[in-house]
Amino acid sequence: MTATRATLAGLAGLAALVALALSVGAQGFGWGDGGAWALLRAPRVLAALAAGLALGIGGAAQQGVFRNPLADPGLTGVFGGALFGIALLLGLAPDAAWQRAWFLPAAAFAGALATSGLLVVCGRGGSSARLLLTGLGLNAFTAAGTLVIASRSGESRELLTNGAFGDWLGMATFELAWLPILLCVAATLLLLPLARAFDLLAFGADAARGFGADVAGVRRDAVLLTALAAAAATCLVGQVAFIGLLAPHLARKIFGPRHAWVLPCSAFLGAALLLGADTLGRGLWPQAPLSAAAVTAVLGAPLFIWIARGRHE
Amino acid sequence: MSEGLVEALGLAVELGGRRVVDGVSLRAEAGQVVAVVGPNGAGKTTLLRALAGLVASSGELRIAGEDPRSASAQANARHRAYCAQKPDCAWDYRVSDLGDIVGAADPYADCLNRLSLAGLTERRLTQLSGGEQKAAFLAMTFAALAEPYGAALLLDEPAASLDVARQALVAAEIRRFVQAGGTAIVATHDLSFARSCDIVVVLAEGRLTAAGDPSAALTPDVIAATWGASAQAEA
Repeated sequence: MTATRATLAGLAGLAALVALALSVGAQGFGWGDGGAWALLRAPRVLAALAAGLALGIGGAAQQGVFRNPLADPGLTGVFGGALFGIALLLGLAPDAAWQRAWFLPAAAFAGALATSGLLVVCGRGGSSARLLLTGLGLNAFTAAGTLVIASRSGESRELLTNGAFGDWLGMATFELAWLPILLCVAATLLLLPLARAFDLLAFGADAARGFGADVAGVRRDAVLLTALAAAAATCLVGQVAFIGLLAPHLARKIFGPRHAWVLPCSAFLGAALLLGADTLGRGLWPQAPLSAAAVTAVLGAPLFIWIARGRHE
Repeated sequence: MSEGLVEALGLAVELGGRRVVDGVSLRAEAGQVVAVVGPNGAGKTTLLRALAGLVASSGELRIAGEDPRSASAQANARHRAYCAQKPDCAWDYRVSDLGDIVGAADPYADCLNRLSLAGLTERRLTQLSGGEQKAAFLAMTFAALAEPYGAALLLDEPAASLDVARQALVAAEIRRFVQAGGTAIVATHDLSFARSCDIVVVLAEGRLTAAGDPSAALTPDVIAATWGASAQAEA
């Protein structure tokens, strides 16, 4: 299949998926009364698309900067850091947290940036084991921190627990979601121009510098923008693993490893996967929907094991 | 005396508290191939990385009149290219992708042709032998300096893992590069290749122990002092 055909087929598939997602409500499939579907479902669909874009391209960017196909902001603790940032704000200043639209995204960004920084300092060096073990430690620490805050905070307990299970899409309204949606799109657009630098970085830092890449600048930009993408996506959906792993892996399978294709294709596939997972979770069990994170984990976990196994061999 | 394309004066590198390159001075002019030889651990790779501005160093350094340690990434990319002894790649690109990645698709394709790799362009890197991969990475390095005039190639063991035929093709490519107005500094264990170069620099424990044209730098005494008496017999 040529790249153009694959792109057209993908766009048509996404359009069909959006229509399907808009048709799923609490009573199962159907368009509802009047314009209710637009008011109630459109923000959720938009939030899933935007968060998916950010999750997909965030995974591709982290894999590019660490030169490691197992890097995924969900597995390396960056989403955990974003949620921990939100938990800290809700725990320390529960009333102030909702006063400005940017307070929660800013707290999530600070948390994601802090874990990204620790990951860069402790986990870099090309070894998958080192990166993933550092991520495992960061994930455990931030998850524990979030749960401790949730258990001490009566008002935010349910909210934070739902966030830890990636179950926030149901809360999406235009009023709550507009800023994180914009930030997801901005992070995605700002990561796209790093494609050539990621291709050069694939040959190692020395080679990339030798060929004229500003390696320190690329790493800094990639870490900042991945943290922004993770923070914005976390504000919309909560903590979701595996989209950032699945999307770039599928993109490389379809288009090859050139980042000019991998980055946009990962964003596109991330959006489709997250919206697909959310729609599946709602469509199969309309009365008690399964969270998008649970569906992606069911699909993503076996793939992760398969990739890790192939890499080991 | 004309200005050298590469000039280093008292170049020193310290890694982990150890002085790996210790006050090395060298000069390479346009049209010259300079061989850097020495036993394992002599500091050849670190010297090449220091010349490329890839590792922190002290002392004076100029490539095409600019210090690569402070020059912009773009200026460095115009003035010098470096190929490691064992280049690797995180992703399984097609051979043909490498030229696009360095922004020099046509010079890269020409170079693949001259290195006898033209039939492999649609293969993935993992489908190549170690020697073919190394040759593809070398072609990428040559292509990155598609305009050799006033530029420096820094190659670490370019012949490692290449078969004899391809070693000769790479040597010809290096000569072709310098004849177009560039210079090449090549770290090598191959003393017969070193003897075919214009200048030989001998390193031992990070220090320059001999330098000059091959007959003056690679004397039996220097070889014995650098590699031991058994190497002198081999040479």
